Amino acid sequence: MESILTAKDLDLFYGQTQALKHVNIEIPERRVTALIGPSGCGKSTFLKTLDRMNDLVPGVTIQGSVRYRGLEIYSSDVDVTWLRKQIGMVFQKPNPFPMSIYDNIAYGPRTHGIRSKAKLDEIVEKSLRGAAIWDEVKDRLRKSAMGLSGGQQQRICIARALAVEPDVLLMDEATSALDPISTAKIEDLIADLKNDYTIVIVTHNMQQATRISDKCAFFLLGELIEYGDTEQMFSVPKDQRTEDYITGRFG
Amino acid sequence: MRKTFDAELLELNESLTVMARVAQDAIDVVTESLSSGDESTAKAAIDMTSSMDQMERDIENRCLQLLLRQQPVARDLRAISAAMKMVTDLQRIGDQCANIAEISLLLSKQGNVKVPQDIGVMSCKAGLMLRQAIGAYTGRDVETAHAVVNLDDEVDELFRQIKGELIEEVAENKDEADSSIDFIIIAKYLERVADHAVNIAQWAIFCVTGEL
Repeated sequence: MESILTAKDLDLFYGQTQALKHVNIEIPERRVTALIGPSGCGKSTFLKTLDRMNDLVPGVTIQGSVRYRGLEIYSSDVDVTWLRKQIGMVFQKPNPFPMSIYDNIAYGPRTHGIRSKAKLDEIVEKSLRGAAIWDEVKDRLRKSAMGLSGGQQQRICIARALAVEPDVLLMDEATSALDPISTAKIEDLIADLKNDYTIVIVTHNMQQATRISDKCAFFLLGELIEYGDTEQMFSVPKDQRTEDYITGRFG
Repeated sequence: MRKTFDAELLELNESLTVMARVAQDAIDVVTESLSSGDESTAKAAIDMTSSMDQMERDIENRCLQLLLRQQPVARDLRAISAAMKMVTDLQRIGDQCANIAEISLLLSKQGNVKVPQDIGVMSCKAGLMLRQAIGAYTGRDVETAHAVVNLDDEVDELFRQIKGELIEEVAENKDEADSSIDFIIIAKYLERVADHAVNIAQWAIFCVTGEL
């Protein structure tokens, strides 16, 4: 299986505090990879290193290598805007822009220079269909996205991420603020999206990691303790610390 | 953490151990009834196994509750799924002991019917295998479990040998064909008891290693 993202000896410090310790991982293409671990273990920090979101945090130092399709993403000549177009992010709390549904989706493509109305219409429909929300919003595209339910808003955010045709989608606890029905819709969506995209999710929900991911990585105190096939990890974990965490004996 | 769940797992293990002990006692009493030809011992074996169907249902129900409420993974999932499978093996052992005891009862009523010595040996071996398999499960002992799996060949060989001898017996002595056929049936039940003991040993291995 081809890996699309590779971290090698990755260290990350917030000031003096080391948040990631020598992380080595290869994330496969067109698969769902789940990052799990207790709060503060470094999983979200690691997710953010994949599209350089940590660059925005003051006092961050990053050492080691993160490669996207062989390209060293922390190299000084990498265009971060380009990188974030390739690697999109969906956050825990749905954060649609305070504008119409249509403009939310068209925002990214417009930023990248697309002006043609016909082209934008096409992108908006395709993205909303891709995020499994087209049928629910097609008659109210000009209405504010803020009036939608939380689950719908989150799918709008996913559609917004898809509109710039990314290669990888990062999701940071993207369903933790949603009710079970909305969660199920997003989980189904993730299963569909992995045919075309590589997806990396951070989740606190073990059942969700079991249901939707192909690979699973367990982080603890900034270290990647275990990484492997999800089925194997949740049936016969190799490391006692993984076993203790996933069976709820600590964490 | 997970105190309630741990207590429930412990209770599941205890009820499984109780049922295993009943199965163990039943095979021991059946062995005794075969060698003594005593009517009351055969009846005792039948009585013993009568509670096992209810035990099976109770344990299955407990397992389903745990799966539903605790959504177990890793060693917890292995322990609960192994329990669900093992309970069927134990119940079948109970059935087979009851079937043997029924035949033993009929034979004892006929009087003067001598059970072949090898059937006694087979019964002891099947009982030993069951005891070791249960020990392997409760002690999470993979080595003993593998030993049980290996013992099965000896029981299978004994069955083939007993069957061969009894077929000859039937050919030579048609008047006693009836009891010879009963002995073959008993030997077959014992061979099945040993197979279930092997299953239990394999579930013990699964609990530890996850290997099916």
